[in-house]
Amino acid sequence: MSDTASADRAAITIQGARKTYVSFPDRRFVAVDDVSITVPAGAIHGLLGPNGAGKTTTLKMLLGLVRPDRGAFTVLGRDARRRSSRAELGFLPEQPYFPPLLTARQAMRLYGRLAGLPEGEIPQRSAELLERVGLHGRDHTALSAFSRGMLQRLGIAQALIGKPRVVVFDEPAGGLDPVGQRDVRNLMLELRDEGVTILLSSHQLSEAEAVCDRVSIISRGRVAAEGSIDSLLNAQGRTSVRAAGLPGGLPPQVATLTDDAAQAGGIWVFSIPDDGVRGVVDALDDAGAKVLALTPKRESLEDYFTRMLQAPEPEGEVAR
Amino acid sequence: MIRRISAIAGAVFLDAVKRRVVYAVLFFAAVLAFGAPSLPSSGLGVDPNLYREVALALTFVAAIVLALALSANRVPAEVERRTVYNVVGKPVARWEYLVGTWVGICAVMAAVIAAFTAVDQLVGLVRYGDLMWRLWEGAGAIWLETGVLTAFAVAVSAAAGGVVVTVATLTFAFIAHSRQPFLAVVHWFPAWLFPSLDVFNIIDPVAYGTGVAPAYFLAAALVFIGWCAALLVIGSTVFAGRDL
Repeated sequence: MSDTASADRAAITIQGARKTYVSFPDRRFVAVDDVSITVPAGAIHGLLGPNGAGKTTTLKMLLGLVRPDRGAFTVLGRDARRRSSRAELGFLPEQPYFPPLLTARQAMRLYGRLAGLPEGEIPQRSAELLERVGLHGRDHTALSAFSRGMLQRLGIAQALIGKPRVVVFDEPAGGLDPVGQRDVRNLMLELRDEGVTILLSSHQLSEAEAVCDRVSIISRGRVAAEGSIDSLLNAQGRTSVRAAGLPGGLPPQVATLTDDAAQAGGIWVFSIPDDGVRGVVDALDDAGAKVLALTPKRESLEDYFTRMLQAPEPEGEVAR
Repeated sequence: MIRRISAIAGAVFLDAVKRRVVYAVLFFAAVLAFGAPSLPSSGLGVDPNLYREVALALTFVAAIVLALALSANRVPAEVERRTVYNVVGKPVARWEYLVGTWVGICAVMAAVIAAFTAVDQLVGLVRYGDLMWRLWEGAGAIWLETGVLTAFAVAVSAAAGGVVVTVATLTFAFIAHSRQPFLAVVHWFPAWLFPSLDVFNIIDPVAYGTGVAPAYFLAAALVFIGWCAALLVIGSTVFAGRDL
């Protein structure tokens, strides 16, 4: 596909974004340095990274909340600096907060009007969304009485009030219990099925693994990696083995091939080089063990982040 | 544009009228209004003219206190708590947010000043047998001045915190009512550039005279529009350029 065709089908493009914060008297901190991301229409794209990596600043630049030093930003082909680019965009900020003395219904009416929804549609759309996010029957409750999780759910509802084609979620599972987190994951998948594009910034790595088609991993203000989670986390050339029935421990010819063996409840888990799989299976058979699973070894996102953070910082780059 | 501004103003109004400070100020102003006729200004008590002056002065002070309480920290708090993201993350210009906030506070002040004036009238009726309709002229002028001070507070709050806004607004109000003494000291300063809110001070003609002519009110309204427009343009320009 040509670049032009790719851009035409992109719901969000961020090209060469850079943001430097300056604090008195002359301290400069480069929060985002040359970040470029393209999100195809109808996809869920994850923005992952440790705290302070630059994820939220990148989202804020896209939404016009923060002025970039440089970079080009588009939403559905429109320059994101223009107010009209947010006409079909929904945004859930991290830890959303609302005027506490309004009721849920009053808040939804406000956001519906701001999103340009026709006056007559607002009550029905509000009721639908409040039910969809699990706030049915709370329409007349003052927001000061809402729990953290309820405010999060209301934040999701307000992001969707204008029937957006593009949604930016910043930590959508924050403050939610496990059931709420599952509901949010399902909601994102439903939205994708409806054709909505989602840019998801998250610390919840399991959430990203469950829903994202692709992810960009941000570290020290730059895109450190981009691709599907499988392609990023599968450890090349190694196979993960689960086996049971080894009361005497791993056979010597297996133990020499692995350095990460762990055992719990009679189940051994370890990894070996791909070219040693046949020999290891035979050795386990000979020892009377039962091979439970052989899968490509996959690094956890936590390990991936840890490795990135431990990598030496490129000279003269980013944090100063 | 009008729809977005009115939506924000409506939300600000609904939020502000539920704040306890509104009713606390209203309560104490009413207590003072009821007590005003008992002030020992003469052996025969306070005459109706002096009562009108005291009532308008009380309304003015209470309105200033309330306008500051509602406006000084509103924008800074919304930025700090990120409430503002839910607004400007939608197709809403930042100036629409500031103007909507100002309109909402002005609407609350209109309701509160009307309530003050109704209480003043009631006391006037009970104590002097006179409904004192002219008090509404003074109330209108007080509302116009409160609107200017609110615009100033909102404009400053686009870049500063609540304490700075409060101090700056009180300083502005003081300077704008002290034209002659200031100009006597800084006589090199062009008089026409000196901020003045004296046009809104009609306590004397309302309390002791026959009020003011409609043409005067029209002129005061034009001054109000000019001040508010200039202040909100400055505030919006500052707010548009800042990171949230």
